Amino acid sequence: MITTVTSQQLLSLRRQRVFLAALSMFVAMTAAAGVLGWSSHNTIVRVYDEAVKLLAADGQPTPPNPFLLKPELSLLSNMVVYVPLLGALLALLLGHLSLTDDESTGLGRLIFSRRVSRTGYAVGKIAAAAIALSVIVLVAMAVSVVSLMVVNQRIPPISVLGRLGLFYSMSWLYLMLFALVGMAAALLNRRRSLALLSAMGAWLVITFAIPQFTSALRPTSSLNPIADPVGSSQRFFQITALARPISIAEQYKAASGQILSTAAPEPGWQTALRVVPLMVFVGLLVAAVVILVRRHDFSRSGNGE
Amino acid sequence: MASDRRHRVLTIARHEYRAAARSRILVVLLAILVIATAGSVIVAAAEYASRLADYQAYHAAAVAGGVTQIAPSPLAPLSLLRGAFEYIEIIGAVIAITLGYLTVSRERVNRTLPLLMSRPVTSGELAAGSLLGAVGVIVTLVVATMAVAVLSVGLVGHDWINVGQAGKLMLAFGVAVVYMATFYCLGAFTTASTKVATNGLMVALGIWLFVVLVLPQIGDTLDADNQIPGGLFAALGLGHDGEVQILTHFTAYETVRTSIEAASFAKHFERFAFAMTDVKERFRSLSLPDLFFQVRASIVWILIYATALPIALNHSFRNQPSIPQGET
Repeated sequence: MITTVTSQQLLSLRRQRVFLAALSMFVAMTAAAGVLGWSSHNTIVRVYDEAVKLLAADGQPTPPNPFLLKPELSLLSNMVVYVPLLGALLALLLGHLSLTDDESTGLGRLIFSRRVSRTGYAVGKIAAAAIALSVIVLVAMAVSVVSLMVVNQRIPPISVLGRLGLFYSMSWLYLMLFALVGMAAALLNRRRSLALLSAMGAWLVITFAIPQFTSALRPTSSLNPIADPVGSSQRFFQITALARPISIAEQYKAASGQILSTAAPEPGWQTALRVVPLMVFVGLLVAAVVILVRRHDFSRSGNGE
Repeated sequence: MASDRRHRVLTIARHEYRAAARSRILVVLLAILVIATAGSVIVAAAEYASRLADYQAYHAAAVAGGVTQIAPSPLAPLSLLRGAFEYIEIIGAVIAITLGYLTVSRERVNRTLPLLMSRPVTSGELAAGSLLGAVGVIVTLVVATMAVAVLSVGLVGHDWINVGQAGKLMLAFGVAVVYMATFYCLGAFTTASTKVATNGLMVALGIWLFVVLVLPQIGDTLDADNQIPGGLFAALGLGHDGEVQILTHFTAYETVRTSIEAASFAKHFERFAFAMTDVKERFRSLSLPDLFFQVRASIVWILIYATALPIALNHSFRNQPSIPQGET
């Protein structure tokens, strides 16, 4: 039963033009992250060359090589921004389409006129989202590896590939969270548009509002992989910072910075702890989606917007 | 004849306003915008209040000590509204797209579009009335946001804005209305152009994502100085003069980078709003005409977008099927 639902859902997603367009956009932006990394590499080389000439003309010593300040995987630092922006919205859309299509076509009503387990149906849908996101993440990882090979003119060492694998595994978990938010919103709202927009509302709160509240990160600061340091001298932030561990978007970025070695190092256990709230939320949402599917009134599917 | 036309447009506008006010999703998104805006201004104002108290203590001590040349306050109360404008830039645009989507999908779902088109109403009047009603909703929303923001600056930051600052603020919020109205047109245009309304909404949100978040992000990360933490030029031991001298070798690169930023409508809104609200220190001493001169390119771009999208909206309303087709 679970396998049938999963394979049907994967086939349905493959036929969805809107989903394919969003997927293409995400893969294109992964490639763009590589191009931006390459451009960044070239810019640093050229600025360094010009700086050496300028300083030599003034009789000043040669500055340190800036590549010593720039870790190898920082080439992909834009992915830390694109996953929470593009990837999360793609995942929301995936979760949304997984359930609303059955609603609007009347398939839900048909399925549950048969002897079908609702839990099996929910697990099948979640498994399909998990598989689809795995494929997306694997494609993104392959594009990233190619970008690294092109820029560095060599095959990345095992340690770098391991870090990349770890980063994309965590990204998969992050995307799963939003796919489940999309599913839960679809089950909680009768209208498709309301479901999509309320899921987007949740995304806006998680990505922009909560980091501002816990760390005074302005919305546009969230678009830069190099975030401004945040002062915590104010009493207000000393209090709100207590909620920082459950600010999923911030924890994802901080853990990514550690995995890609683009942030000041911290003990491994501390990085592992950052992922725990994400795992807890995903677990809770899986349970919520299963419960909501069990309680959902599919007899009205095909009648809504 | 002209008064009949005006009457029809105003009737449609009133209908649009009332329907939007009854929409649950708009109320939810509006609540997110107002709470986030108030939160951001209150947080910034709390910090501002402590810095203002420090400056006032310094000022009083200097006066008491007989110091004649006292440094002016480096604080700018309007700059506290930066977060408010960033939220309008991101969430405000989503609200406007949703408003545009609802304009079209509402008539389709309720099956009222054929009825509407059977009346002596042209597609141009329909588009103008809908846009006017949406602008009414947006003005209400922006005024509410502005009131919350200004009160937060005064009550929490202990610094009330003066008449000159209020004028600049009105200009910034006026452009915010134009910005949101343009995204409204985008939402209505994409929805009216697709058979399945939700697909139109998704397309509009995809464009929003690219224009508001991705393009400015690319432009920002391509900035030579943003390549490493702390700034590339600082890491190389170069000051402002050295940076300017080196950047003369990057003319083509900088042209491409600024062109990417220029393609983003959101970036132009941001530049204008930040110039009017003293966010950038270099703009604080400028007069209003000088400020306009500094952001003239952004003003032109905003006008281009704000003209093109209502034309597209009118076109899509004219070609919209009068009988609902397919799934909405």
